[in-house]
Amino acid sequence: MSLDAHPGLPEFEYVKPETLAEASQFLAAHRGEARPFVGGTDVFVRMRDGVWSDRYLVDIKCLGDLNKIAFEPLRGLVIGAAVNMNRVIAFQAVREKYSVLAEAAESCASYQLRTRATIVGNICNASPAGDTIGVCLLLDGILDVHGTDGMREEPLGSFFLGPGKTSLRPGDIVTSIRLPAPPKGLAGRYIKHGRNKISDLAIVGVTVVGCPRIDQASGYRIRLALASVAPVPLVVDEVEAILSSKKIDAKGIAEAAQAAMSACDPIDDVRGSARYRRLMVRNLSIKALTDVWEQLRK
Amino acid sequence: MGRASDALVPHPIGESKLRIDGRDKAIGAALYTDDLQFGNALLHARIKRSPHPHALIKRIDVSKARALPGVKAVVTGQDFPGYIGLYLQDRQIFCRDRVRYVGDPVVGVAAISENIAEQALDLIDVDYVVLEPVLDPELGVSAQAPLIHPDLEKYAVVNFIFPEPGTNISNHFKIRKGDVDNTWGQCASIVERRYRIPHIQHVPLEPHIAVAKQDELGEVTLWGSSQSPFAQRNLIAKSLGLSQSEIRVVSPYVGGGFGSKAGVSMEALAVAIATRARGRPVKLRLTREEEFYTAFVRQGLVAHFKMGCDASGRLLAMENKFYWDGGAYTEYGVNITRAAGYSCTGPYEVPNVRGDSYCVYTNHPVGGPMRGFGMPEMHAGLEQCIDELALQIGMDPVEFRRLNCLKTGSTLVTGGRMHATGLLQCLEKVSEAIEWGSKAPPSAPTKRRGKGVAIMWKAPAMPPNAGSSAWVELAEDGQVNVGVGGQDMGQGSFTIAAQMAAAALGVPYESVRIAAPVDTRYSPYEWQTVASRLTWSMGNAVVSAARDVRRQVLQVAAEAWGETPEDLDIVNGTLISYKSEKETPLKNLGIYGLPKPDGRGWRGGPIIGRGSFMPSDVTGLDPETGQGEKAVVHYTTGAQAVELEVDLDTGRIEIIRGVGAFDVGRAINPEMVKAQMEGGFVQGVSSALYEHLQLKNGFVQNPNLVDYRIATAVDIPGELQSFIVEVPQDDGPWGARGIGEHSMVPTLPAIANAIYDAVGIRLEGPPFSAEKVFLAMLDAGIVK
Amino acid sequence: MVFHKINLTVNDEYEEMVVPSNMTLLQMLREKMALTGTKNGCSAGECGACTVLMNGEPVNSCMVLAVECNAATIITVEGLARDKQLDPVQEAVIAAGGVQCGFCTPGILMSSRALLNRNPDPDEKEIAEALVGNLCRCTGYARIIRAIKEAARMKPGTSALSATD
Repeated sequence: MSLDAHPGLPEFEYVKPETLAEASQFLAAHRGEARPFVGGTDVFVRMRDGVWSDRYLVDIKCLGDLNKIAFEPLRGLVIGAAVNMNRVIAFQAVREKYSVLAEAAESCASYQLRTRATIVGNICNASPAGDTIGVCLLLDGILDVHGTDGMREEPLGSFFLGPGKTSLRPGDIVTSIRLPAPPKGLAGRYIKHGRNKISDLAIVGVTVVGCPRIDQASGYRIRLALASVAPVPLVVDEVEAILSSKKIDAKGIAEAAQAAMSACDPIDDVRGSARYRRLMVRNLSIKALTDVWEQLRK
Repeated sequence: MGRASDALVPHPIGESKLRIDGRDKAIGAALYTDDLQFGNALLHARIKRSPHPHALIKRIDVSKARALPGVKAVVTGQDFPGYIGLYLQDRQIFCRDRVRYVGDPVVGVAAISENIAEQALDLIDVDYVVLEPVLDPELGVSAQAPLIHPDLEKYAVVNFIFPEPGTNISNHFKIRKGDVDNTWGQCASIVERRYRIPHIQHVPLEPHIAVAKQDELGEVTLWGSSQSPFAQRNLIAKSLGLSQSEIRVVSPYVGGGFGSKAGVSMEALAVAIATRARGRPVKLRLTREEEFYTAFVRQGLVAHFKMGCDASGRLLAMENKFYWDGGAYTEYGVNITRAAGYSCTGPYEVPNVRGDSYCVYTNHPVGGPMRGFGMPEMHAGLEQCIDELALQIGMDPVEFRRLNCLKTGSTLVTGGRMHATGLLQCLEKVSEAIEWGSKAPPSAPTKRRGKGVAIMWKAPAMPPNAGSSAWVELAEDGQVNVGVGGQDMGQGSFTIAAQMAAAALGVPYESVRIAAPVDTRYSPYEWQTVASRLTWSMGNAVVSAARDVRRQVLQVAAEAWGETPEDLDIVNGTLISYKSEKETPLKNLGIYGLPKPDGRGWRGGPIIGRGSFMPSDVTGLDPETGQGEKAVVHYTTGAQAVELEVDLDTGRIEIIRGVGAFDVGRAINPEMVKAQMEGGFVQGVSSALYEHLQLKNGFVQNPNLVDYRIATAVDIPGELQSFIVEVPQDDGPWGARGIGEHSMVPTLPAIANAIYDAVGIRLEGPPFSAEKVFLAMLDAGIVK
Repeated sequence: MVFHKINLTVNDEYEEMVVPSNMTLLQMLREKMALTGTKNGCSAGECGACTVLMNGEPVNSCMVLAVECNAATIITVEGLARDKQLDPVQEAVIAAGGVQCGFCTPGILMSSRALLNRNPDPDEKEIAEALVGNLCRCTGYARIIRAIKEAARMKPGTSALSATD
């Protein structure tokens, strides 16, 4: 905790493997005392605070295709683990087809920190406050993971186990996240509520995505995820259920927002109280849902 | 001095010259303490601190730390028995038998690297006996509260501070004026309120830092980010049993102070460690986290206000009680208590006053001076009560203030008379600029708009004999060197000094240099850079020194030219005679004098001028009644108004626009004066909306920039206007008085009053975070 | 302790350094290269006083390891001016009265220079957002924001850096 913060980083060994195989092997062989890093914005802070004390920090920035960001109409958007948030925000396909991801990323921290922070890093950090995680969940993001036994895919939906805890095993390196090709007419909104206007950690974050869907009674599929109000980033399935089953109107949106409020499980902390967070989930869900609804109706 | 028309004001007074140190700072060449190079003799220090808010020290074992390779010195309180303090000596450099706040220094380590010093801390064992802490100032004054300073009666204290031994009260300032008890019955309206103002911290961008070295002769040099080189010299010398001249303090550029770098805080630790480091310099820097809980913080305040007025709105009585959460040591904080006491009515004329201002020890971080010195904390609640009182009798808040605010000649709470002041003008300016009385529609159906106003006053709070001095000398190249002891921590004192010297001497501003860094070995004495006193006090000294040079120059020239000084002048760096039209550049006689008229010998020589200024007529105040003829040197007054919106969905406050007007007497550099008004306003907004040093059981919960929020570039108001009012200060240079602190004083209550105007709620204290505003609206039924 | 040999370019000068794993870029600049213009305000990536340009982009140098800078191009505040000619952002901030204590100034200038490189004509909202990671306690930001707007209008080519840096 902050009262124990040291003036500088503790001693550790910087390791830069040449290949993914080498990196996974090293991490597995030194399990419990080695950690992969890209931007370091979480790692360095925690090491300085004495929360983490790994003997090895493994720089994976230059491995494989981790620096690539690409969009293909069939595969969708693939964001390498080392692609910094500013690059993601500026990427044309993101701006045109996944604009809610850009909105969420732009709300993070500061320009300087976004030069180092990454979408994948945000995900692996598994903070319930992560701004971009909700979008990735709602867009059915899939992680590409390189482990000691090669590559595999991990759907985001089952990835988060608790605050700071994921299903990754020793030796695993997430190499990229893939967001499938966006549905036609995708609309989205990320509302982040912090203490300052921007740059704060989210007290509450609401992500909403929606698209026209003729197979739904309402004609639309609308999904909602919450940040900072549960141990993990939270997708509220009931919102989707309410807004797909009948004609969408203000009453339905209010009902969905109420469901979001009931689903969340916030705590009191230095940033806000549980009581306030719950009410903000309701109010900001109404705002975000209404916004997306209006985008869809245009 | 005196009432001067603009025609009599010499260049460059009143001109917005570019600051003298701007270029150096913008190219990264300006040196701050951590930039100084000391070579490989430099040792790095870290401090082992108390993990308890209140405990007795039973045993300290430093043997393992001493044995760690690379560790060169380990010191404890056993080595330093002396007490230290500015107004009350209640602090020791390292704790000897008792720790009084989480972070209290217990052991100091110097090593060849900061990392090794840090590792050494873990090898130190300290056994404590935990004591019950005092965590609230109102509880702290009760008879059952544990005593934090049982030896209070033994502490040396200045004669205007009144501790109550056997209690946790380190100062009790009283106002007893008129007959409050029998006046309430005459009041048509009474407001009685309690306000809780939490602790905040200065958050200077540059954390505290000090480098100290003691040479073989025992002489100490201290380099530090300091507002008070001379006070540090004085206090540290006394504490170590040295004489003042055995300590030399050098202060390079200061990366923000706001009061946190006044007096002595961590600098004494560096000096103490250095005395055991065998001649090697020792650098101690605070981490940002330590800056939050071990450097000075702004005291918390629990304020009880009771005020009443008659049916026409005239204030009749006030009964105000302040319980200051002074923290573990109140050597500085006691004077904040006093200042709030003698200002406790706010800038109003009130015939009947009972005021009690208590400085209370608690086991919290150390309260110290912060911009406004008690005024922001006090006005926070007071100006809200004024609004409430006005609205209660159906009077417009601006009209109420118009009626009751101090004017020239008004009777003050301390019994004296108000000097010439432009307070009313300031109030009129801000009301007009904010379009008081009209209401624009909110920007959206889920927003509510409101306007609020507040006025303020503040005097420089200092001992009655706080002095300034300056020297001015000429160089062979025509440059003018000005020596000052006051610091430029960003407020622009060096620039102002240069402008004033230039004006008083008759040289271009560009030819003046300030002899910086301030170095107590070479710089002239200055009490401290605090209290918004430099423009006025140091300014008088600089002007005096420059005029001394001018007099000497004219004298030499007169003798050399066979003329009289009255016919001579210095204009733009050139000495001219109006009579003979002779002229010569100043540089020609700054060092080498002038030849005698008959060619046989020389007149003059190296010219150096001196100036000194010290207030002479501040009288004491009666300890029982707080009454006295002249309580303070003068007051700066002012007003601010804000227009804001409240978001009904989230409670978030958005400041649409702000206006400020302050009576500075004479703006030596108008743009720099406005820059102070702007910076103070934003710091005021930040303290109103975001800032809160969250204390729980004596522990700061948010000692970092992630969770202690300050205003960023996107949090500033859409529009901010600053107006300069000039009602001259009769003893200030060209009428000038200070402005540095005042713009942070009325901001919070102006915002609070605007929130009330918008949604009809008042909070017991800041910050007016979105959460607090929203939940208050919810509980009041304004939102669901 | 493991040491690493790196080579990098700092303010147009080629450098070879030997650094321990846990040394940050900020520490290397200040303690090994005598480039003390870049300041340490928090060591946690929050205040922005340590902002430098790394491969053209602003980073908090307290949050970058020195060893990560192998083959990198770094520009600090000392590298903004060219042959004593100040960068427009420097000129403008001085002229606007946007410097007080000066501690945030180097970081502000680096963030601003990077902003103008990627967005030559930003509005005040964009400038404020670009500076959200540079805390200033003295000025209240407004003069700085106006200054950067003014700097954008100043003659191109007066900057030490082009958009391709």
